[in-house]
Amino acid sequence: MSDQGVSRRKFLIAGIGAISGAIALGVGGAAVTSIGAPAITNKREGKWVEACNCADLKPGEFNQLSITYDAKDAWLDGKIKQLVYVKVTGDDILALSATCAHLGCNVNYDEQTGGFKCPCHSGAYDSTGKNISGPPPRPRDRLVAKIEDGKLKINTAAKEA
Amino acid sequence: MFARIVDALDNRFTFKESFKKEVLDHPVPPRVNFTFCFGGITFLLYALLAVTGISMLFFYVPSVDHAFSTVEYITFDLPAGNLVRAIHHWSANLMIVFIFVHMLRVYVYGAYKNPRELNWITGVLLFGIVLGFGFTGYLLPWDQKAYWATKVGVLMPESLPVVGGFVTKFLMGGDNIGALTLSRFFALHVAVLPIITVVFLVGHFLMIRRLGIARPL
Repeated sequence: MSDQGVSRRKFLIAGIGAISGAIALGVGGAAVTSIGAPAITNKREGKWVEACNCADLKPGEFNQLSITYDAKDAWLDGKIKQLVYVKVTGDDILALSATCAHLGCNVNYDEQTGGFKCPCHSGAYDSTGKNISGPPPRPRDRLVAKIEDGKLKINTAAKEA
Repeated sequence: MFARIVDALDNRFTFKESFKKEVLDHPVPPRVNFTFCFGGITFLLYALLAVTGISMLFFYVPSVDHAFSTVEYITFDLPAGNLVRAIHHWSANLMIVFIFVHMLRVYVYGAYKNPRELNWITGVLLFGIVLGFGFTGYLLPWDQKAYWATKVGVLMPESLPVVGGFVTKFLMGGDNIGALTLSRFFALHVAVLPIITVVFLVGHFLMIRRLGIARPL
């Protein structure tokens, strides 16, 4: 031990510690970044999808539509299938996502009440998609939809407030 | 706070004392120089390969349909994926280099002699295992280079007497380089070889602790 300044032992411990720490941080950082990144970058893109011909829609009541669209899934060119309930009343289009606001099951249309019921945990919604009983914490998502050239188009991401 | 946690753990495991005795105050012969680091550097590279390899294991798929696309995804789409793959690539190459200079140093210093013969023997076995890592890992990107290099590699043992034909078929998993070759090379690369390596490494290191490093010339 020297009596002036840092001892050789302390210097070496600190130096080796610093170099090991730098290597661990560098490689560990790269590893953690790559493993964690898909949580942020592997997004589902919103796009306009042609849902059906308007002539096929029953006006004034809920039509259950299944829309399928291409979606990139990391290295795969995958497809996503999504269930939507659409009601067209005059110029007004109500496109309700079938996804339950509780834990994501698909809800069923309930002819008796004119609302919706979730088969998973008995969440119930009224005909506007508002949660009325059971566990759902909020109304179901309303999707943006439009009619163009006689076809109903639904945006898969944009939600109406 | 942190010091208190360390102290509480030290109360149970007394690692501070062992660290001082076994690492800081561990006697080494005089005139030990940097050439004695090559074995340790090789082990550091093994650790880097393990970390980067495990990260790529989150993305790589060992099937002939997807292997190449997943490697492309890691390389071009995944943030830091190219860095992880590059560290894996260069660590693998450097590992061979450092094993070679490590063995050269041990040979020149005569450090393989009694009582350290088993260190040399386990070391040579480890070298063989590392070559196995290189051979099996080279196929995994499933590109043209990988395919043809493996083709050449698996056909070499065919000239062994008696067992040659079987060894080649065993490596390929049949008569062709295909789905089974890729999946068995993957299994060897990420599970079988790493476990065997750790077993031999523990032996290699324990013997160094027991016998100490060889006195320099």
